[in-house]
Amino acid sequence: MVKHVTPWLNAYLDGELPDAQLRQVEKHLAECDECQAELEQMRDLSALLHETAPADEFLPTERFVANLTLNLPRQPAQSQPRKALEIGWWLIPVGALGVWLFFQVTFSLSSVVLTVSETGLLGNGLSWLQGDPPQTRWFSMAMDLFGGQIGFTGKFILSAFNDLSQFIQDLKSRFIWQGLFATLYLGWLASWWLRQSNQAIPASTVPQS
Amino acid sequence: MTSPYAETEALLIAKAQKGDRDAFGELVRHHHPGVVNVVYRMCGDVELAEDAAQDAFIQAWLHLPSFRPGTSLRNWIYRIAVNAALDVLRREPKTPLIDLETLSMPDSAAGPEIVLLEKERAFAVQRAILSLTETNRSALTLREYGGLSYQEIAATLNIPLGTVMSRLNYARDRLKELLAPQLIDMEIANG
Repeated sequence: MVKHVTPWLNAYLDGELPDAQLRQVEKHLAECDECQAELEQMRDLSALLHETAPADEFLPTERFVANLTLNLPRQPAQSQPRKALEIGWWLIPVGALGVWLFFQVTFSLSSVVLTVSETGLLGNGLSWLQGDPPQTRWFSMAMDLFGGQIGFTGKFILSAFNDLSQFIQDLKSRFIWQGLFATLYLGWLASWWLRQSNQAIPASTVPQS
Repeated sequence: MTSPYAETEALLIAKAQKGDRDAFGELVRHHHPGVVNVVYRMCGDVELAEDAAQDAFIQAWLHLPSFRPGTSLRNWIYRIAVNAALDVLRREPKTPLIDLETLSMPDSAAGPEIVLLEKERAFAVQRAILSLTETNRSALTLREYGGLSYQEIAATLNIPLGTVMSRLNYARDRLKELLAPQLIDMEIANG
């Protein structure tokens, strides 16, 4: 059974079909007399709708503009709270970016200083920064219980697991921070996009469908 | 790349937002013909359309400070204009009378009988448009007489793209039914 393209003909006529559908409709039209006749009728309808010009009793544009500009009421100034709101609105992403930059710089600097300090290049002046390597609770317990019984290899493996666990914990906390900032920024971006698409229009002329 | 008018329009909007009436006048001068065409099709009456156009531009002036630069002024004004036309129709609940005398035809050199026939056809077209529901009429008017794309109509009327398509389909199907005699005449005339 031939599947007609009648539902797509309006969009086809308006030049609004995406490429794939456009090719499909054109291919069908080349073979289907029924859809061709339907399309022709739509073209006639469009021509009929455009046949009549609006009444020539309308005020010419120049006179309309002259009358309108004379009768325009005073334009309300943008209120201070609204301006403050606008400024505050733009401060959100700037603030988020500033805090993110601060943390990034602080983390990176402290990492660099610690690394340099560990190599001994800075002498003993910063030895207080190094302290004992961080230990997870399970590592401390394991060392207390079995520290004397396991050999060097056992301690080495336990220590490696401890480092891995610490690394994952650090990574998790970093991800949480980064995720928090990213969510805040993306949330702001989404709201900004919604504000742009829902342009404020006069309350008295809100569409009533 | 933006057109020279788009750049000029951005400047005019910025000036008008600060209360420059001349700049706003320039914007009105540019958008007036389109707005009048749309509101006339929405109202079907010259006086009502004049009122609606005036209301629309005054509303646009009053709310221009809240207009966000970078978005389409034409869509914004058309949205206000469509709603101003609906407001005017609600204020004047009487069915707008389309006066045959006020319907101008493009070819005035034709004989009186042809002119009368064309006027009757124009009358039928306008009556058919007015018989559509407000929502379908808004979509049709913005497409046919405002020249807006589906995406722009969706943004202007704040409806999904699919709804624009269904409203246009419904409006055109209904017009085809109502204007069947005129379409047959056209078909015969075209051979």
